[in-house]
Amino acid sequence: MTEAVAGQTVEAPSEDPLIEIENLVFRRGDRLIFDGLDMVVPTGKITALMGPSGCGKTTLLRIIGGQLKPESGSVRVRGQDVVGLKRADLLELRKDIGMLFQSSALFTDLSVFENVAFPLREHTDLPEDVIRDLVLIKLNAVGLRGARDLMPSQLSGGMARRVALARAIALDPCLLMYDEPFTGQDPISMGVVVSLIKRLNTALGATSLLVSHDIHETAGISDEIFILDAGKVVAGGEPSTLASHESDRVRQFITGSPDGPVPFHYPADDLAFDLLGVGEP
Amino acid sequence: MIDFVRALGDRSLDRLSSLGRASIMWATALWGLPRLSELPLVIRQIYNVGVLSLIIIILSAFSIGAVIALQFYTQLARFGAEDAVGLGLALVLLRELGPVVTGLLFAGRAGSAVTAEIGLMKTTEQLSSMEMMGVDPLRRIVAPRLWAGVISMPLLTAVFNVVAIYGGMVVAVEWLGSDAGSFWSGMQDTVELWNDVGKGMVKSVIFAVVVTWIAVFQGYDMEPTPEGIGLATTRTVVTSSVMILAMDFILTLSMYGEFR
Repeated sequence: MTEAVAGQTVEAPSEDPLIEIENLVFRRGDRLIFDGLDMVVPTGKITALMGPSGCGKTTLLRIIGGQLKPESGSVRVRGQDVVGLKRADLLELRKDIGMLFQSSALFTDLSVFENVAFPLREHTDLPEDVIRDLVLIKLNAVGLRGARDLMPSQLSGGMARRVALARAIALDPCLLMYDEPFTGQDPISMGVVVSLIKRLNTALGATSLLVSHDIHETAGISDEIFILDAGKVVAGGEPSTLASHESDRVRQFITGSPDGPVPFHYPADDLAFDLLGVGEP
Repeated sequence: MIDFVRALGDRSLDRLSSLGRASIMWATALWGLPRLSELPLVIRQIYNVGVLSLIIIILSAFSIGAVIALQFYTQLARFGAEDAVGLGLALVLLRELGPVVTGLLFAGRAGSAVTAEIGLMKTTEQLSSMEMMGVDPLRRIVAPRLWAGVISMPLLTAVFNVVAIYGGMVVAVEWLGSDAGSFWSGMQDTVELWNDVGKGMVKSVIFAVVVTWIAVFQGYDMEPTPEGIGLATTRTVVTSSVMILAMDFILTLSMYGEFR
């Protein structure tokens, strides 16, 4: 589908969803992480995954990327069933997926420049001067063009995250998955990363899937937020609608209140009984 | 009793599945020889596991050669057979000690380093991020290290043998005064190219395959935690050492046969 904008012909976002997950069941040992999870991520939008710690947000990103195999259910990315793909086809599909890891996952034996150049060198036959220009453009986008010669051990946590972001967008992927992109950022770089995610989505025509606990930043840039809890999507919709959601659990999570149906404490005996041995366990 | 049988079964299944994963990793990593563009990766690993092991190999080889010559000389001199020091030294080194001690040193120096390096890459999600970029870590990380180990260890064994014989010569000839002509000619007359040198190198290649396989698999399959790295490196050294010693006995029996 095409449409004319200011004299130019540009590709309009496709109506087909980029990711479709149906009846996903996944276990870690005896623990059931997903129990029939269904989710649809629209193309060209920023979709956020939120939920209490340990609810499986990062696990879901890894299942979408084909790094973990579910017990049952289907996960389709661009219409391809990730679960049934052969290893070679999966590696091919991943060239169109950029992922920002929670730990940055920079290659410690390569410089900042070489880290960003890595996917370009692996998947393209571009001449060295073009690779250099592309790497510098990506590094400039995250404000670290001047840090190109540093090694990962010389970077702060926030800087490493931004280098990893530059590397994730090196091949201009159609799907970008961000695992906690705002963690460890100072207020200035936080603002840069927030606007960068927004700009990348429009500039690259990419689809973004974002895992985060930062409600304010996430709500500011997301088109849609899914709340995961107890192995399922318990709520989904535009950020503005979630604050007034009918479920107490969803509202408690959105407002960040310690009091509510989601307990702050891990199940334990009564404090007085634990400390003084008095009263009921 | 049932609990014991169940635990035994669980453990056996665990070992069997571990062996299966190791075999799949081995086959996938070595599916094809490294491409020309990947040759620098193999060369770099040869430097890491081979060249950087040279110092420990040379120092150990010299000491071991010197000690064996010293013991041989003192015992053989009691029968007036000190001229046979060179021959005995060469046979012991080429057939047994060269491949075995190099294998043990290689497992301790290079094997543990490979396990720790791959393990740390796994812990810091570098392997995962590589996979997510569409780059197969088995081809990019594992295969170059496997090839480098298999190429380096026989070369290190050759260096070990040469230096150890030199160490023995220094003690027997230069220090204790054994005749240099007898030392070298005894070796030259008796040592056979295939039976002694060749079979020793075959042992070395087999040890190289086993040690690098264990080292790479332990790193790749470990639990991604700091404790996991410690356990995996220990397992690499212990398992490799036991395997080398056990296999050496079996290989010696099958290669040199009729001892009775």
